[in-house]
Amino acid sequence: MLTPDVVIAVAIGYVGLLFLIAYVSDRQARNDKAAFLRSPFIYTLAISVYCTSWTFYGAVGSAARNGLEYLAIYLGPTLVFIGWWFVLRRLVRISHKQRITSIADLLSARFGKSSRLAVLITVIAVIGIAPYIALQLKAVTSSLQAIAGVGEFPGRTLRGIDEVGLALAVAAGMALFTILFGTRNVDAKEQHHGVVAAIAFEAIVKLAALLAIGIFVIYAGGGLEAIFSRAEAAGIDIYSTGNFDDRWVAMNVLSAAAILCLPRQFQITVVENSNENHLRTAGWAFPAYLLLMSLFTLPIALFGLTSMPAGANPDMFVLTLPLSAGQEGLALFSFIGGFSSATSMIIVESIALSIMVSNHIVMPIVLRVTQGHGVASARGVSRLLLNSRRFSIALILLLGFLYFYLTRDSDALAPIGLISFCGVAQFLPAIIAALFWREASLKAATAAVAVGFVVWAWSSFMPSFQSSSPLVAEIMANGPWGIAWLRPEALFGVEGIDPLVNVVFWSLFLNTTTLIVVSLLSSQSALERVQAALFADLFRRSSAATPAVIRGSATIEDLYFVAERVLGSPRAKALFEGVTDMPPPQFIDRLERELAGSIGAASAHVMLSKVVSGDAVSLEEVFEMAGETRQVIAYSQELERTSAELRSTAQKLEEANTQLRAIDTEKDEFLSQVSHEVRTPMTSIRSFSEILLEEQRLTADERQRFVKTIHQESLRLTKLLDDILGMSALDRGERGWDNAPIDAEHSIDRAIEVCSALAQQRRMQLSVGGRAPRAMISGEPDRLCQVLINLISNAIKYNDAAEPMVEVRSRAGRGRYLIEVADNGPGIPKAERKLIFEKFARGQSGGVTAPAGAGLGLAISRQLIERMNGKLELLPGTGPGACFRITLPLL
Amino acid sequence: MERRKLESAALFLSLLGVLLILPPIAVVFQLQRRFLGLPLEVIYLFVCWLGLIGAALWLGRRLPREAEAEPPDEGES
Repeated sequence: MLTPDVVIAVAIGYVGLLFLIAYVSDRQARNDKAAFLRSPFIYTLAISVYCTSWTFYGAVGSAARNGLEYLAIYLGPTLVFIGWWFVLRRLVRISHKQRITSIADLLSARFGKSSRLAVLITVIAVIGIAPYIALQLKAVTSSLQAIAGVGEFPGRTLRGIDEVGLALAVAAGMALFTILFGTRNVDAKEQHHGVVAAIAFEAIVKLAALLAIGIFVIYAGGGLEAIFSRAEAAGIDIYSTGNFDDRWVAMNVLSAAAILCLPRQFQITVVENSNENHLRTAGWAFPAYLLLMSLFTLPIALFGLTSMPAGANPDMFVLTLPLSAGQEGLALFSFIGGFSSATSMIIVESIALSIMVSNHIVMPIVLRVTQGHGVASARGVSRLLLNSRRFSIALILLLGFLYFYLTRDSDALAPIGLISFCGVAQFLPAIIAALFWREASLKAATAAVAVGFVVWAWSSFMPSFQSSSPLVAEIMANGPWGIAWLRPEALFGVEGIDPLVNVVFWSLFLNTTTLIVVSLLSSQSALERVQAALFADLFRRSSAATPAVIRGSATIEDLYFVAERVLGSPRAKALFEGVTDMPPPQFIDRLERELAGSIGAASAHVMLSKVVSGDAVSLEEVFEMAGETRQVIAYSQELERTSAELRSTAQKLEEANTQLRAIDTEKDEFLSQVSHEVRTPMTSIRSFSEILLEEQRLTADERQRFVKTIHQESLRLTKLLDDILGMSALDRGERGWDNAPIDAEHSIDRAIEVCSALAQQRRMQLSVGGRAPRAMISGEPDRLCQVLINLISNAIKYNDAAEPMVEVRSRAGRGRYLIEVADNGPGIPKAERKLIFEKFARGQSGGVTAPAGAGLGLAISRQLIERMNGKLELLPGTGPGACFRITLPLL
Repeated sequence: MERRKLESAALFLSLLGVLLILPPIAVVFQLQRRFLGLPLEVIYLFVCWLGLIGAALWLGRRLPREAEAEPPDEGES
């Protein structure tokens, strides 16, 4: 015997099982082990949250009352899923890209991240869904009464609790259950793996229960044919004469709209989708699930009508049929199936709605009131979000209960569901426009949804209170203030039309018309244009360009502070890893999308705008300037990038030019120097030779001295010319030689030998520091020696220290061979360090009065060493003197 | 079938589905006649439904995958 205690214990046990499934799946998902959780079939089963107690209980009732009509509720969604390629795929793609968390978020994001629109959508959704929640409460309450109080049914007591009290208890239980279930944490993507797993499990349970009842009925009724024949004999019209009428069309339209617009369907189909390709499977598997769910509905209804006593509630046939046959186990299974349908719907619907309420109503209010600085603690926003979600869940169930309370006298389930369907269907024109029509504007969408909502509230929502409010009944009969053409169920005086067709037609017609006309008349804001283009060109452009970037001067600390408060510390840290100093615009954009995943697009935008100072204005300006469409914006970004490149190129050119000018000046100086250098020996050669020619009375000694001078001067001249020639030859890449393996130490020895005479002449010390024992390099011994002589003689010549000294040292190691020539002379000033290796340059402020070289030595030396694959550099020393280093690769 | 044809087929399938279940085509099968013990229109609707599911299954396996999906030339309406 099924006592209330047993039934309630089973229900609670079942809820415990759901918890277990959700808990285990969440853990598995967190450990990345739950590949099956992300399978397309789990996804499809979760979408089957569409089948609520309305399907489980109400469809049979609907079939008993109106024949085939119940099928329209499943054929509409079937068609939407068959055509997944066109609408659902776009919806999923854009929502993934924009981190959309709800239907309000989607429309808000498309229409310029408007928070007002999001609020409107949220409010409508909450009101529109209230009847649907009431339907579930009613179904669970009735089923509890039916199964646990068979004797008293349709009596009003279950252990002394009346229907309203029972419904309140069910609502409270559901609220508690959903809060525990769905608001354990805030996920960036709003994906709830545990919930999805539990919902998928419930989908299997309700399908199995309904199929079991169906098979039982076929068996009990003696086969399909017998059931239909008996019904026909009992005077029931088994043919759906006149069923394919305007009401059939309206219901198909409504159900097709509902599968897209219901917050819970959006949550499961779009937000919880982990892979776009899952739609491929859902495209046929969900219709197949719906087909299986509706397969036995008609036989069950007909069998119930013929075998149950007159006046039995056809909505409860799936429970009362097995009970009347004494099949208590089957009845209990059926009860669990119906309970599954109700709980899954309530869980997902209230999670989806609570996300909308907290993201679009609570968060913006908190941000506005506190100027974005009120929630100081690191986890403040997360906790606030969770609490506001819990509160919203309680509120949503309370509203459902209130609706149930006020309309408790209406009997059938299906009409209540249709009220909700029609309410959320008001989003459809805006959604379709968001996906396909670029010109749709925020004003138009807001006006359209509002108009549709008003018509719905007047013609569909309000009439459901007819039984509890005399005022409503009066309006229904005569219109407000006696204006007959405003009667809710005969709008504009169109009489004799089905009330459902009346409201579906007028609300969607006025809704769509408003959307189109206002869009044509109004203009879009800059941000709207950007978002519209983003939505419309979904499949056309790469995801790389995301133009809705907040520009400004936020520091990384500010942004991190915000991210930490919303996303929590670990996620924020992961996000900010590798970001230093000024965050690039792309990063801010990414951050905004991450935040949008938690608090919705509009709130995230407002929040970041507050952080990034003065943004709201500059963003607008930037886009206004950028022009009409996103292409122009992308183009301008491209331009910006190019001009930045140009700027840097120009800067480099300028630097090069400065260097060139410096060298040019040096060259001029050098040329005058050269002429001077050439003139001096030439003058002395000329004068001495003139003396020799003209002066006959010279002693042999004098003659000898003069000739020697002429010789020396001409040698000097030759050397100068050799240097210049050598330099230009090197420059042209001539005068090549073949590098051969040599011992560089020999070259050092030779250079020191040559220079020691010069050093002695100047009375200075030429010391030899640490030396490498043997250093085989690839080079040319004479050239290396030439370079070393150049370096050492420079060090000697320019040294004006009191106790001048030059040290030569070398060492080898780690594949490199180093030779250093250091002196304690005046050193080389910073400004000249770069120049000294240039041609024609020479130390200017070396403190030496008579420059003795032509300024080519170091330039030639460097080129020679480079020919040996080495490098010659001036060590950036700080102490007195300069130190040149030759680095050569060891063989 | 090539990509564009597959997409056209998918669109056609959806539109055909809509037309099949709505009047006037659906009304054609309201003949007050029974087939296999069931009213003809019930059989008709379920057969249509099955057909749509089968076709969607067939198309779903052939429509281009995410990776190979290139921007289609859908006109904006």
